[in-house]
Amino acid sequence: MNTSVLLEGLRFIDTFFPSGGYAFSSGLEAAVQGGAVKTSDQLAGYIEDLLRGGMSRREALATKRANRAGATGQISVALAIDRTLEAAKLSRASRLASRQMGRQVIRVAADQIQGKPILSAYCDEVEAARAPGHLAITFGLTLGAAGWSQEDTAAAFLYQTAVGFVSAAMRLSPLGQHEGQRILGEWLPLIERISRDVDSDTAMSSWSPVQDIYAMRHGVLEWRLFRS
Amino acid sequence: MTELVGRVGELKLTYTKCDHQTIISHSYFTTPWKLLPPIYLDDTGAAYTLLVNPSGGLVGGDHLSIDMNVEQDAHVLISAPSANRVYRTEGKVSEQRVNITVGSGAVLEWFPEHTIPFAGSRFRQTLQATLAPGATLLLWDAVASGRIASGERWAFTDLENDIRITTASGSMLLERYVLDPSTDLERVGLAEEWNYVASLYVVNDSTPSEVWNELESKIATILDTRPGEVLGGVSAGPVPGLAVKILAQTAPDLTAMLDALWAVVREGLLNLSPVSLRKY
Repeated sequence: MNTSVLLEGLRFIDTFFPSGGYAFSSGLEAAVQGGAVKTSDQLAGYIEDLLRGGMSRREALATKRANRAGATGQISVALAIDRTLEAAKLSRASRLASRQMGRQVIRVAADQIQGKPILSAYCDEVEAARAPGHLAITFGLTLGAAGWSQEDTAAAFLYQTAVGFVSAAMRLSPLGQHEGQRILGEWLPLIERISRDVDSDTAMSSWSPVQDIYAMRHGVLEWRLFRS
Repeated sequence: MTELVGRVGELKLTYTKCDHQTIISHSYFTTPWKLLPPIYLDDTGAAYTLLVNPSGGLVGGDHLSIDMNVEQDAHVLISAPSANRVYRTEGKVSEQRVNITVGSGAVLEWFPEHTIPFAGSRFRQTLQATLAPGATLLLWDAVASGRIASGERWAFTDLENDIRITTASGSMLLERYVLDPSTDLERVGLAEEWNYVASLYVVNDSTPSEVWNELESKIATILDTRPGEVLGGVSAGPVPGLAVKILAQTAPDLTAMLDALWAVVREGLLNLSPVSLRKY
């Protein structure tokens, strides 16, 4: 990847990007309150399990397929995987969070990345409610259109997700920045493996019942810092 | 020459509302399926059918299928006399395919017993339900970690479960998981601490949102009645209705939770009392 391609993608990964992701914990807040995540080791295990079982063949797979759609301009491919991802996300809070963040990405991408008509076309689909516009899809489309590979796009998506969990954990628990970096570093080999090994042509699947349940339980928490 | 690869058992059932009662208007079945006449548990006319497989389960190479058509305004309850055992195999997959259509105004309550995947078993289930406008589906699906009393937990070779519910508007719910404990990306993970995993889906596209909100709140309360023994969550799903996920430690925990949830859904959505299935 050349430097201009790298930089075009990086700004969508950077926490400076206004996706609103800081408002969501994807069920981590419920898991902390429920006692499932009390220590940094438990946090590491909980998120590692989610990345591996829950997100590898769901979001990472969707990101890779959307990347291909972005690179080749095939909007129907992106629409199909977006709808499948909507069907596979059983928690309302998770669906809404993913759609809100995804909309922010496609709006900026459609407005600012020139010469890639699929981005503005997909933005129109999302704005007209003909596509859910999940983050994994709009992120994959955008980085695919920008010239990133499927594998790098999936790795970037999972890395961004992992950073979001560490950031949320630092607000929910006494986890410090140094410890947060240590945990993040431990996840990198897994992120690399998932990004490489997930075949974007296989059917979507997901197995993270513990995390799925905590994501559902967020709505009944008595007090909440996060919106999911 | 075609290799013999286990049994191909078909069960085809059509339910029709006839006067005030739901009847089986068409049926067809091959070994190992058996068909008993429907039972009427109360005065609602709802037909209760047990899915009977006298062999007690599936062996490697079995391909069992169920095609069920619940016609307009019919009301059907489905269960099974015992757990669905999936036996050890030397290599061939045991497969169960379920295809359901629910007509306008019809109700299907699908509550089979849980699946027990034995050590060394390979199981693949696909369940597809298609709903007409105004159709109601209550769908329960539960899997055990194995023969727990024998110390077998999460010891199957692989297990694939694919549940799809499609409504008249085209919206879809998909639960699909693929487990292979020997691999990196398909291991059981944190769920290993539990012995049962179950889902309950309640779907109807003409129910007002306030009914769903009230039911969601009641279900959330029930899910918290067995802390440490049951972990559960409920949410509005991607199709009109509710999705419930449950992890349980023991079969009695799971059964008690199922009974409580089923009762509150029947009351809140169908305005009906709980039924006793009289299986034991």
